[in-house]
Amino acid sequence: MGGQNRVLAILLGVLAVLVLAVGGLSAVLLASGSGGDDNGSSGGGVTTGGGSSAGVDTSPASGRLRLASGDPITLDPHIAGDALSAEYIVEIFSGLMTIDPDLNIVPDLAASFEVSDDGTQYTFVLRDDAFFHTGRRVTAEDVKYSIERASSREVASPVALAYLGDIVGVRDHFFGLADDVPGVEVIDERTVRFSLDAPKPYFLAKMTYPTSFVVDQQQIEANPRNWTRKPNGTGPYELQEWRLGERIVLRANERYYGGVPKVAEVLYELAGGSALTRFENDELDVAPITVNDIERARDPSSDLAPLYTVSPQFTISYIAFNTNVPPFDDVDVRKAFGLAIDRAKVAEVTFNNMLLPATGILPPALPGFTPKDKTYGFDPDAARAALAASKYGSAADLPPVVITEVGGGAEGRIDTQAFLEQWREVLGVNVEIRQTDFATFLADQDAGRLQMFNAGWIMDYPDPEDILDLKFHSESALNDVSYSNPQVDQLLDQARVDRDPEARIQQYQQAEKLIVEDAAWLPLYFSQSHVVVNPAVHGWFEPPMVIPRLRFVEVVR
Amino acid sequence: MAAYVIRRLLWLPVTLLIVTFLTFTIARFGPGDPVSIAAGQFRDPEVLAQVRAERGLDGTLVEQYVRWLGGAVRGDFGDSFLQQGFTVNELIFPKMLVSAQLGFMALVAVFSLGIPLGLIAARLNGTWIDPFIISILLFLQAIPVLVVIPPILWLFALQFDLLPVGGWGGLVDIWWIGGVIAIPIPDPHLYIPLFSMSLGGFAGVARLVRITALEVQSEDYIRTARAKGLPESTVQLRHVLPNSLLPVVTVVGFALVGILEGAFFTETLLGIPGIGRFTFEAVVSRDYDVIMAITSILAAVFVLMNLAVELTYGWIDPRIRLGEARS
Repeated sequence: MGGQNRVLAILLGVLAVLVLAVGGLSAVLLASGSGGDDNGSSGGGVTTGGGSSAGVDTSPASGRLRLASGDPITLDPHIAGDALSAEYIVEIFSGLMTIDPDLNIVPDLAASFEVSDDGTQYTFVLRDDAFFHTGRRVTAEDVKYSIERASSREVASPVALAYLGDIVGVRDHFFGLADDVPGVEVIDERTVRFSLDAPKPYFLAKMTYPTSFVVDQQQIEANPRNWTRKPNGTGPYELQEWRLGERIVLRANERYYGGVPKVAEVLYELAGGSALTRFENDELDVAPITVNDIERARDPSSDLAPLYTVSPQFTISYIAFNTNVPPFDDVDVRKAFGLAIDRAKVAEVTFNNMLLPATGILPPALPGFTPKDKTYGFDPDAARAALAASKYGSAADLPPVVITEVGGGAEGRIDTQAFLEQWREVLGVNVEIRQTDFATFLADQDAGRLQMFNAGWIMDYPDPEDILDLKFHSESALNDVSYSNPQVDQLLDQARVDRDPEARIQQYQQAEKLIVEDAAWLPLYFSQSHVVVNPAVHGWFEPPMVIPRLRFVEVVR
Repeated sequence: MAAYVIRRLLWLPVTLLIVTFLTFTIARFGPGDPVSIAAGQFRDPEVLAQVRAERGLDGTLVEQYVRWLGGAVRGDFGDSFLQQGFTVNELIFPKMLVSAQLGFMALVAVFSLGIPLGLIAARLNGTWIDPFIISILLFLQAIPVLVVIPPILWLFALQFDLLPVGGWGGLVDIWWIGGVIAIPIPDPHLYIPLFSMSLGGFAGVARLVRITALEVQSEDYIRTARAKGLPESTVQLRHVLPNSLLPVVTVVGFALVGILEGAFFTETLLGIPGIGRFTFEAVVSRDYDVIMAITSILAAVFVLMNLAVELTYGWIDPRIRLGEARS
């Protein structure tokens, strides 16, 4: 066929056209395109453009730390309610108190503080070397402004009442019934006094959370919409650059009162992709280990093993029973479900021991934690006995049971599926899994529509009040299982205002014991953090909750 | 003709109004809201009600919609909930630009490869080459993007270290020779997404062109052209090709709208800051203003593109007259 030469000619022509098109288009768009290097260190600020990451310098250098993370939802400390935003905020801003690497609550912007005899007044004296990044000295006025702004109606922070609600006047201010917060008083330029509605000993713990952090009034009033793009904070690091979806760069604050941090620059890669791959490619200094790589990390002969560390986290995951909804209105049914599952085995098999089976409600390293297992262990006979003792008597008389969890609908969580099998085998109950997306799950949970569900809780400050009181007090708005036990309420009310730390801990431990026995929650696991760390990074640690840590780290290459 | 265009354009605001109001209603009535998600663990109902009021999420549906509309007609699509402190415009336009750049390059690749391939297959109809090409095209069209990307990534990015694992670097990169001569080359971040996005696309275009070209080839005027002794290349390029393009124009039109939607899988797997991934995240976290803005823009572009495609028909094929009675 003579046409075959034509065919070839056409093909070659197409190839030529393609090359020309790509090249020509590139050239044309070169003028208006976003190519080129922009690893600028000038000025700072945030860019939203899909700009070039081709010019990013991710080479290992002394004094530079490279991490992988995600975009913060916000850098405004008064609004932030999630751990990811908090991770950045605690480095850029600071407050009167903070938590040190040993989990002690220590003064930060405050040089010292005094508690009144009745425990309701806290008087803080500010450090005289506390400055904003721009060099302005931090005064008591700044503290008062910050608290009032955080609890203001206009800012409408979803978390303000949770962390500042104990201060006199904050509630009224938040709901627009008052113009200021009388509970925060400026005594003189460096002294500020807080008045609480009761002698709550966990007040200092709450003050370590970003909601009470100090912000720059002048900056916010001058630029109310965009000030978080180049925030003037008081923390050990300044925000130098934020390219949405690409990277965040923090620079050490030369004026930091705690000493200039040794790591001059911290680069966060936000784009995603496999962190471990980039770690092994020497593009990142710390990478999380997932269940896919845990075998490698634990294998003593692999190159990851010496770099691998495990740390406890203040996170608990659990199955919750709505005590208002049959059949979980009967404690024996709840007990039966708890006794029928073997959590330790599931943690071992499905999660490869990356999670610890929960021994109670309070996670490890929290004051009040006891390693003794207070939960219902795996005991099929006792489970069946409990079900028989309940008012339903047997599996056949139970109403349909549905467990709800967050998911895409393709298949249930692996551990839930294992539990389902065990409930079927041991009790003869057929539990159904229902998956919804996250927003729907929250809506159902808040409306009390869920009969049984999978959930988790991350502690925000190291005090048992943050979980026992908030989740189990019958009057707490966050009690999503309708749990009500007058004995527990009494213990919690006592512990709330008891100023003797040891007595408090005992009260919380007693409450925990009762709560676990009542089985409104089936505590499942405590989380752990699994990471590999580049040996050039000295002093890296994975705290159980978000606390400032970059300034304790050093990079030596 | 002009009257026809104006009539069509007058329908645009009506269509947009209906589409946006429907989207608005469905989003608001559906379960979940952005405030609950932003609140994290501390979801005190009293506090959330207050926050919703302050952020404009209270009032009747119509009130809220009118409020949104007032801003939208001025180009102010509101603020994002998911990314606090940023306006919706700031977030979606750069991402749409990235998706558009990537999508446009993919379209160029798809049509540059697909059209000639389709013509060739049609020309070689009757030989073994035609079904061979068809089989390959069907195979390629059947592979989902999700399956294509990981092996390509593994091969080129990890094994050979030729291409980056992900990210976006714009369209152009500079290749320096000896530190003196600068040559613009396509950015290396482009190759993997382009490849995965084009694979199925050019197969589809090729088959479409082939079918149409087969029909055209049996037309009288093609026989006449050959009988007159015209070289085959002229017959193909000047007679068969233009007449096979009509269905392609439709495809191009809607593909151009599609590039503004972004490619979700490609963007997620390769860490490209495009609009596809962002739309998904906005829906999951109920970022209402973002959802409304993207919907409005896409609806408007869709309607306009529809019109443009029809006008192009009239231009390409003189036998088609728009808006006139058939004779």
